[in-house]
Amino acid sequence: MISKIVKSGLTRRTFLHSTAAAAMSAGLPGASLAAGSTIKIGFLAPLTGAVAAWGKPGLDGCEIWAERVNAAGGIKLGDGSHNVEFVAYDNEYDPAKARTGATKLIREDGVSFIMMLGGDTWPGVQPVADKTGMLFSTLLPSDLSPDTNTLIAPAEVHPIYNVTGVEWLAENKPELKTAVMCAQDDALGLPSVATYLAAFEAAGIEMLDDPLLFDPATTDFAPVVTRLISKNPDIVCLDTCYSDYVHPIAEQLFQQGFKGQIISCTADFYDQMIAKTSEEFMEGFVFQFPDFDDPALNGDNINFTDPNGFFAEFNKRHPGQWGAVSWEYASIMDLWKAAAEKAGSASPDAVASAMKQGKGKHAFGDADWWGTELFGIDNALVGDWPVVAIEGGKATIKEFRSIPDWYAKHGDLLVKHMKAYDQMWDQRS
Amino acid sequence: MLDLLAQTGLNAVYAASYISLVAVGLVLIFGVMGVINFAHGELFMAGAYAIVALYAGLNVPFFLAVAAGLLFVGCLGLLMEKALFRPLKDNPLGGLVASIGFLMILQALAVMGFGVRMVHIPPVTQEVIAFSEKVRLPVARLYVIIAAIVLLSALWYFLKRTKFGWALRASAQDPEAAALQGISITQTARIAMFIGAGLAGIAGALTAPLVSVNPHMGHSVIVTAFIVIIVGGVGSLEGAIVASVAYALVHTFVTTFWDGVLADIVGLSLMLLVLIVKPTGLFGSADRA
Repeated sequence: MISKIVKSGLTRRTFLHSTAAAAMSAGLPGASLAAGSTIKIGFLAPLTGAVAAWGKPGLDGCEIWAERVNAAGGIKLGDGSHNVEFVAYDNEYDPAKARTGATKLIREDGVSFIMMLGGDTWPGVQPVADKTGMLFSTLLPSDLSPDTNTLIAPAEVHPIYNVTGVEWLAENKPELKTAVMCAQDDALGLPSVATYLAAFEAAGIEMLDDPLLFDPATTDFAPVVTRLISKNPDIVCLDTCYSDYVHPIAEQLFQQGFKGQIISCTADFYDQMIAKTSEEFMEGFVFQFPDFDDPALNGDNINFTDPNGFFAEFNKRHPGQWGAVSWEYASIMDLWKAAAEKAGSASPDAVASAMKQGKGKHAFGDADWWGTELFGIDNALVGDWPVVAIEGGKATIKEFRSIPDWYAKHGDLLVKHMKAYDQMWDQRS
Repeated sequence: MLDLLAQTGLNAVYAASYISLVAVGLVLIFGVMGVINFAHGELFMAGAYAIVALYAGLNVPFFLAVAAGLLFVGCLGLLMEKALFRPLKDNPLGGLVASIGFLMILQALAVMGFGVRMVHIPPVTQEVIAFSEKVRLPVARLYVIIAAIVLLSALWYFLKRTKFGWALRASAQDPEAAALQGISITQTARIAMFIGAGLAGIAGALTAPLVSVNPHMGHSVIVTAFIVIIVGGVGSLEGAIVASVAYALVHTFVTTFWDGVLADIVGLSLMLLVLIVKPTGLFGSADRA
């Protein structure tokens, strides 16, 4: 029988591929849910291992989000209200485990949507997404390409929003004329390097040296900092370094006597950095992720429900664990919920379609689906992003700035630097 | 430029100090027991978490917490010797595989006890010795340098000038002959494990306030330690110290004057070069390799 199929022109590979697709599709939950049943959402991220800090706090935030939504009556679809429940799978930031997890979440748990950190794990999951049509989200838009039709990046357009911090610095501290930068040599560090280079060039800030790349396994940052400050820069840029790097680098900058401006994508647990340096040293440290008790998040432009209450509840349950991703997965769920209610269905196709009608309700304001030029597909939600500075020992939103406005003026610079670092979607392997 | 060279030199001395503590412990265990202890990086991590628990958690004075860390990790070494390495001593790969299992257990315990994120440790001191505006040595780093000099000198004295040290060296050179002379191989193995693990533990404890403490912090340390002991000569304590200094100098200077990623490549190339030119390592002997 198989030989007949092969003779008919169907290759063995195609046959197996099709069979796998059919098997997977058979396992995909139906578009309709039983009335009153619980909607299950997959949470496929690293919950243990070195990258767990980018997953676990997000799941903690989602649990709070689910409790609040369920207490308010659940998600209202065409057939009535449904409670929501998260089903977590720890992919340990491993592509093979992520693939297993995606299959399990779809076939065994019957989830309607899967949230991921993305990055190295997305290539493992993409074949499952292709076969099943399941809607996935990633925190890293660098996962996007023209082939990723069912993948969206609705929370953050990393690293493009970093341009807002540099632009704000240039306008508010024009005396800063020179900069240096360091970054870990990985999939998060390099596109961010290209973005900061574009932002500094657009702002007329001179780079005194090539970006200093270090191995992600680095633990002693004294040599890195010695090199960085040897040319007396006005600004030291810490790129998108992980917290494990930002803290010791900041401490080394303090100990080696740096007195200039620091800018970084993140400053998770900045209170600990202050404890290791001083409040004076950290004053004015610019980064991109606010605390959600910031009064600026109570404005009408914000689409995140009760950010101050969410922040308080998170810190009550998980003291000292608030970080950049604590709110991001929950904000994706706000967007998903709005789209599902608009579509009247939790089916991936219907939600995706409803989500992309008109402007998206991003946490920091209404935003546009964008990205063809950089990612090959308009599946990234981009709009305003906050610039945050530490003032008096507390993160304070200084201003919301528009990423699309910056891109309209300086997009060519970004593309130039992304290409130089092989970070355009058609350059990534 | 002189300032930059001087600061880089100070950075290299610090790096050589903690690397040599870890590497010497690893060599001691291998030399006496013939076991490649893959869990050595996690013993370093356990020392760091002793500081988290005692100094950061219970406000125990730092140096008391460091001493407790040394004892705690030394006792972990004794546990490994009794529960893992002794029962598997006749299996050539048994100790290695068991140590891999033990490192996973230690990592899991750290995750369960302290979570997956890096843990904050208050600074021991913010004092800095300023030789000039741009040449500065934080006192917390000086502690590591002093500890390495004192402990490695003490170890040298112990091995060369005491009866237990002679027994240890005899066991490392020829266990059967040592046993025929009445030396207890089990006893020397215990001493080697305690000292070897303790050195890793104290290195982790002393550097804990200076690095990001997390359950996976042992990975990079063990990789560096393996490079160092291969360059120095597997089983050679002198080789481990000389290679630690050489590796730290090369890695620090290349990072500062060129690139951090290039520094890793140069470090590995150094190891390959030594293996090609002298396969036994700088101080290694053919029978040990």
